[in-house]
Amino acid sequence: MVRLPRRVLPALFLAFAAGTALAHGPTPQKIAQTVTIKASPDAVWKVVGDFGGIASWHPDVAKAEATGGNAEGATRKVTLKSGGALVEGLDEWKGPEWTYSYRMSDPDLTALPVSSYSATLTVTPDGDGSRVEWMGRFYRGDTGNEPPDNLSDEAGREAMNRYFGNGLKGLKAKVEGGRTP
Amino acid sequence: MTTCRSCLVFLIVLIAGPAAGQAVVVASQQGARLTRIEGEAVTASFTVPASPAVVAADGRGRLYVSHPDGRAVSVIEPDGAVRRLPLPAQAFGLAVEPDGSRLYVGDWSGHRVLCLSLPTGAVAGEIPVGPDPASLVLGEPGRLYVAEREGRSVGVIDMGALRRVGGLPVGDGPFALAYDPDLARLYVANVRSNDVTVIDAAAGQVLATIPVGTAPYGVAVVSGGGPVLVTNQHAASVSVIEARALSVSATIPVGRYPEGVAILGGFAYVANWFSDDVSVIDLAARKEVRRLPVAEGPRTLAVARIAPAEAAR
Repeated sequence: MVRLPRRVLPALFLAFAAGTALAHGPTPQKIAQTVTIKASPDAVWKVVGDFGGIASWHPDVAKAEATGGNAEGATRKVTLKSGGALVEGLDEWKGPEWTYSYRMSDPDLTALPVSSYSATLTVTPDGDGSRVEWMGRFYRGDTGNEPPDNLSDEAGREAMNRYFGNGLKGLKAKVEGGRTP
Repeated sequence: MTTCRSCLVFLIVLIAGPAAGQAVVVASQQGARLTRIEGEAVTASFTVPASPAVVAADGRGRLYVSHPDGRAVSVIEPDGAVRRLPLPAQAFGLAVEPDGSRLYVGDWSGHRVLCLSLPTGAVAGEIPVGPDPASLVLGEPGRLYVAEREGRSVGVIDMGALRRVGGLPVGDGPFALAYDPDLARLYVANVRSNDVTVIDAAAGQVLATIPVGTAPYGVAVVSGGGPVLVTNQHAASVSVIEARALSVSATIPVGRYPEGVAILGGFAYVANWFSDDVSVIDLAARKEVRRLPVAEGPRTLAVARIAPAEAAR
């Protein structure tokens, strides 16, 4: 009798659930997180603008493997410290306007309990400093009519807002860190 | 002179104003409201049951709204009365016969299209289609088209036989459809391949594949070979395709996460899902002239007839 390690079982269940929820479901949800940073937009963009460089500022990210630089169609595989990986494709990157947009390629419910998402990160001037907005649109992990609690709209909102919020806190700390004693 | 001037003004109003007796209706999913827009202004709004996704209209002033998370379709009568039709389906895409005799409903996770007899809502037929049916649109007489999002195809349905009789190959992630009856042309917005497939419906052949902005999610056409408007959800813009030249002639910035688009009386109306407003685009000038706030999460629009009884109130 082959015994599966206990922690593999939930992963198998989630992988199966993902198979039934590959497609977008019909009720999209919003995510929006912002942060103000005491640094110029150029200085912030230098850190956050590189699509493949997310591991340098996002505290939840263990590593990011990127291909294609910042050209349309570039990809990044973002491995989270909590487990799972997000594979994302770059839709649009506008360096002079300090903004880029991307979307999820394949769902990984162990990383985030959502079946698909797209997002845009934008830096704008704010007084002497900058404001960074990270916003997007996602569908819950199980897009069927009776999602379990862990794959519901609420679970998705909680996880996505935490991921974006933590990221912006990490970005702020990294950019401002070098300037505070 | 004064008389002439007022004649002129009257004529201009006739040409540029909204089509008489018609309005655009937009469905806000989170806000659970329908908003009616005439010309450049909001003229009414009313609450509907939770999470309306797609709105459709027949030629008699009746509205239909799908509730994918509520297993139902709502019917809104011209007098405002709302009737719920429960369905064993994740109702999303809608198409209604102009005479209001039949309603077609896409069952997103059931991979089928239901045909409902109206006004009872009784299921008259069940048509298996490709995976994840998104938009539905009426084509030539007796033909219904369905965007099969995960099938890279558009299903062709014979409405007499209530059967899928064929599929047309399109781009990746076909989501939205528009049909021009005068040219018998079908336009398909492919959300993942960032392009629009143009199909000669009579011949069943692809005429062109036109690159647009990122994540095209809505499409509408001025029938008779007029411009085709495509919303680019991730680019916050609308691409204008010239139907004769089969190329993009303009890209118009709109609100955030634009989804559905509808055309009426010289204007195009774009539902901006994230920014909770509707962009009004002057078709002749090819630019946005107004941004109208609506309830949260506007997604789809329909051109509806304002019933005489209602218009007279």
